[in-house]
Amino acid sequence: MLKKNLHEIRDPIHVFVRLDSTERKVLDSRPFQRLRHIHQLGMTYLLYPGATHRRFEHSLGVMELASRVFDVVTRPDALTDEIRNLLPEIADEDKRRYWRRVLRMAALCHDLGHLPFSHAAEKELLPEGWDHEKLTRELICGRELQDIWDEATPPLRNGDLVKLAVGPEKAADLIFTPGESVLAEIIVGDAFGVDRMDYLLRDSHHTGVAYGRFDHYRLIDTLRILTAPPSDTSEPDRSGSREPALGVEEGGLQSAEALLLARYFMYSQVYLHPVRRIYDIHLRDFLREWLSNGVFPTDLEGHLAWTDNEIGAALSKSSGDSSQKGHEHSRRIVSHEHFKRLYVPSGDDLKINPEAGLAVFSCVKHDFGSEKVRYDQYAEKGQVYEFPVLTQENRSVSSTSISQVLGSMPLASVDCVFVDRKLLTKAKSWLAEHKASIIRLEAETP
Amino acid sequence: MKRLQRAVILAELADRMRKHGSWCGETHLQKAVYFLQELLKVPLEYGYILYKHGPFSFDLRDEITELRAYELFRLEPRPIPYGPSLAPTQNAEDLKTRFTKTLNDYREHLVFVAEALGNKGVADLERLATALYVTIEAKNGGNKARADRIHSLKPHVTLESALEAVKEVDEMRETAKKLVSEPA
Repeated sequence: MLKKNLHEIRDPIHVFVRLDSTERKVLDSRPFQRLRHIHQLGMTYLLYPGATHRRFEHSLGVMELASRVFDVVTRPDALTDEIRNLLPEIADEDKRRYWRRVLRMAALCHDLGHLPFSHAAEKELLPEGWDHEKLTRELICGRELQDIWDEATPPLRNGDLVKLAVGPEKAADLIFTPGESVLAEIIVGDAFGVDRMDYLLRDSHHTGVAYGRFDHYRLIDTLRILTAPPSDTSEPDRSGSREPALGVEEGGLQSAEALLLARYFMYSQVYLHPVRRIYDIHLRDFLREWLSNGVFPTDLEGHLAWTDNEIGAALSKSSGDSSQKGHEHSRRIVSHEHFKRLYVPSGDDLKINPEAGLAVFSCVKHDFGSEKVRYDQYAEKGQVYEFPVLTQENRSVSSTSISQVLGSMPLASVDCVFVDRKLLTKAKSWLAEHKASIIRLEAETP
Repeated sequence: MKRLQRAVILAELADRMRKHGSWCGETHLQKAVYFLQELLKVPLEYGYILYKHGPFSFDLRDEITELRAYELFRLEPRPIPYGPSLAPTQNAEDLKTRFTKTLNDYREHLVFVAEALGNKGVADLERLATALYVTIEAKNGGNKARADRIHSLKPHVTLESALEAVKEVDEMRETAKKLVSEPA
């Protein structure tokens, strides 16, 4: 009987995800199996009960979408001679096959370094200089996965895998060729990265929030590798930069707009939901007290030992015993007694002081005690609105020059002071009395 | 430097660049800030790597997006086929009035960069910023070696124009010495 070389896994978003036997070895490895126990959206299931999906299935989905995009954008009829010359990685069939495989593996591995509950407070929960991308990188280069890369035919270079899995921002010490930059963009890109495509579709499906849906079939079919459109009128002969980037055919522009609107809506409605954010803050506070030295280990064995299961058990134990480390924080999570919103700066407040939230936080902390108040501030990162669009006349133009939607796309952000729910009424009255003087922005003293 | 101090420096730089005719898209701002930080030693503390059109800072990209979220900058779409511009808002103008000391401390540095780069397009900015990048990397290597390095990093920049960029950057470094040596 022939050994099975193609493995199929059912998936609620992509129907089937198919893996070959080498990819299956990665799937069966300890670093990857750990992702079965890391919730994709942390404790969001406390608000959206369906949001119990894990990094495991998301990583499979990212691999599936990565190769779909690769196959579309490297199709011979989708490439101009100029692009082909700029990208030696896809110049011949052997190289194309090698990089397709690297891309799929990198997509599979891109989230290996995530902390329990996918916790975002990495600066506070990891030693200085570490983040989940660095852990991902260590795991890709670690013995267990290195053996798989060495045994592959042809062998896969771990440096190539690292570049595509974490991208240029998090692999700043590595020089990317233009081709490697484009391939990394397929996974981690701001606008069309398949990491984002998969998590929007998957999170939307599991939370039951329809805002994250968009026509990813149409979008992927119309993606192209294009040269950058002119940035200004000084480039009439286009002798300047011709760096390639992921863009879209004009016919796919509406689906690209839909993706970016979906991103905005999901940020506003789910990712930046104030209750989700305060649970994350309580969890961070718990971990800082409960973990040895207040941080997660960064050695690979230590990292692999920690999942949501161990932290969940610790939360449960600590919440029921006031002598346990982190008891107050775990009790707030387990009993659903999270802090409540005290203050969100209005547009008028921000005109007076763009750091009004921080100013209020400092004063509330001073008057009510640092244990009774928390501050959360986050604004969207990256730059999603500008990418090349291939017009019907075969011109590469800036997306904002052709789409009214992208030129006025709103940005999601959160700026919020939370207070212990027992103090909420008192703190609100206090704030009403003092807000005007608190948020006044004094001029710098010469 | 604190966040709001950086915000007023960016707003002032964008204003001055625009007055010198700059298109002031994100790439123009990225390269101008690179000169302000690396040549004029204004302590903005953005991490730069060699990426899109030369030296590029993801920190700065995120900060510009955040400043837009806080309505201190706005995006100005431009006609087909061009990329958009970035413009400081009235809120940024108001904020500047609270940070006159910071602006006074770095006024000459901002004037220098805006005058030197405000009239340049992306192609020139890419050449010059990459020339400064390789100059810092090579710690004053010879002209030919630096031009070769630029050409190897950015093959679309010819050796001839790379050599011109190296010379122009050396002239800027010479002029900037006075500003750098003066305490801010």
